[in-house]
Amino acid sequence: MSVLSVKDLSISYQTDSGPLQALRGVSFDIDDNNIVGIVGESGCGKSTLIGSIIKLLDNNAIVEKGEIFFQDKNIISLSDDDMKDILGVDISVIFQDPMQAHNPVLTIGQQMIDIQYRDKKSKKQKQNHAIEMLQLVGMPDPESRIYQYPHEFSGGMRQRIAIAMALMVKPALLIADEPTTALDATLEVQIIQKLKELQKNIHCSILFVSHHLGVIAELCDEVIVMYAGEIVESGSVRDIFHRPKHPYTQALFACDPGRILEKSKELPTIEGEIPNLINLPKGCIFKDRCSQRIDRCDDEIPSTHQIKNTHMAKCHLLAREQK
Amino acid sequence: MKKNSELQIIFKHLMRDPLGMIGFFIVMIIFLSAIFADWLVPYDPIQLNIKDRLQGPSWSHLLGADQLGRDTFSRMIMGGRVALQVALPTIFGAVSIGLILGMIAGFGPRWLDNIIILFFDTLRSFPTVMFALAVVALVGPSLSTVVFIIIATSIPTYGRVVRTQTLSIKSSEFILAEKSMGASTVRILRVHVLPNILGPIAVLVAMDIPTIIGLEAGLSFLGMGVRPPTPSWGVLLNDGYSLIRNTPWLIIAGGIPLILTTLGFTFLGESLRDVIDPKLRGKKR
Repeated sequence: MSVLSVKDLSISYQTDSGPLQALRGVSFDIDDNNIVGIVGESGCGKSTLIGSIIKLLDNNAIVEKGEIFFQDKNIISLSDDDMKDILGVDISVIFQDPMQAHNPVLTIGQQMIDIQYRDKKSKKQKQNHAIEMLQLVGMPDPESRIYQYPHEFSGGMRQRIAIAMALMVKPALLIADEPTTALDATLEVQIIQKLKELQKNIHCSILFVSHHLGVIAELCDEVIVMYAGEIVESGSVRDIFHRPKHPYTQALFACDPGRILEKSKELPTIEGEIPNLINLPKGCIFKDRCSQRIDRCDDEIPSTHQIKNTHMAKCHLLAREQK
Repeated sequence: MKKNSELQIIFKHLMRDPLGMIGFFIVMIIFLSAIFADWLVPYDPIQLNIKDRLQGPSWSHLLGADQLGRDTFSRMIMGGRVALQVALPTIFGAVSIGLILGMIAGFGPRWLDNIIILFFDTLRSFPTVMFALAVVALVGPSLSTVVFIIIATSIPTYGRVVRTQTLSIKSSEFILAEKSMGASTVRILRVHVLPNILGPIAVLVAMDIPTIIGLEAGLSFLGMGVRPPTPSWGVLLNDGYSLIRNTPWLIIAGGIPLILTTLGFTFLGESLRDVIDPKLRGKKR
């Protein structure tokens, strides 16, 4: 059974120079107890995708078509009030910057107690639950630290608190929006391990957004590669990391500093920029930066090819291979 | 681990700051003398006693008596009560209206924001004294007129500060996090925005009380505030002004408390600013 199912989702932003097509025909599923990673460079639509799932898009965003099913409910057609009964109950979110994630004038304890406002429990019980959760995320001495303010914690600790708060409600789906980007490498590993461990305990699914390929490989079961508002490749971690089919995915791996073994003067990059999403180019979205471009790419939008049962990619080269 | 309430912590830190301590004690003295004025005054402050008129200080009249023989010390103490009677409801009214309007303007839709800002600017564009003159000319001078005038003219001050603070908090990530947990707007405003605004507002209030008391004194001095025989510091100053050749004591009795109140509340306000913010707390400037 899938927890979240996004079907052919297209979202655009109204701008002065015309509609900016931030997402185009995005479809994917997140199964129960699965961790799905989304990779892609800045501006590829990751934040828009998250915003649409939690229904907190900017005012100028328009859902052009598509559906998002969470359990059995279509989020797109749900009212804001009904959505509030899902958020913080069945879906919770961890954001990128732990330094900004907490109210600076309330103690951690006050915030963690407050967030349980839906439960009919005594304050003491809520406090105990908060302490329990902090213990679970590896906070030392939580009994006394709940009386401290956010600025008295380090970045790593604050992200742990954010994770504790998000998991407090035992959600069915946890959305993590680049939760380790603001942290250093050692902390990143710790947080990732903690997340993995907690996911097993709580039995939730995780939608994990990152541009750090190593983290994705470590944590996720499935990977979705996004480029300029489209899913260009998706599949299991093993498929994507060992047999990337789309030129963009291959280029991403070539640029991963973790895979560069020789000292070199210049780091490899993908030349060019993301195309203008207001005036979409004809044909393949990646053609201008692609090293394996063929004639077909110029005016024909590639269709999604199934390589193996779950491994898909959107590229003309695959059509040639399959023939 | 200590489990003091927020107020206890703030008080403890306030006492560590010498200015804060002085300010706190001056303010306490003003409040206590206003509350217990009935027991403190040696004479009825509006009781005429012609044979003592324009007396200097003596054991029977600590600060002398005015042109009608009323005891100046008693009038000074009662004047403090009048000052607070104006200041407290005014602050309460202005802050509550300012808070509500400011938060709505900051958090609500753009068009509502524009309307409220227009309302603030309209109120603001009246010069306080001119506005006061107009209102007094319409409804006549009284204590409640003064309160109304000052509330009306100070709403924009609070409203604007609240709106700006709300705007800056609104875009911070913890509000987004709270929204992503399904919190309602009222809940976000109450639990997260309000506590973040309260600090700056408390400081503003402490700094504003002397202004309001001064305004009341000023309006009374001009004869548009409280009416004789009710004692007010402004009335004392007014009487003293016309009798300056006969006795300096009326000016002193009206002026010194005004100065002290201003100093006390200003010290308290400055100290509060550092103490209320958990981040600045305990750090020496």
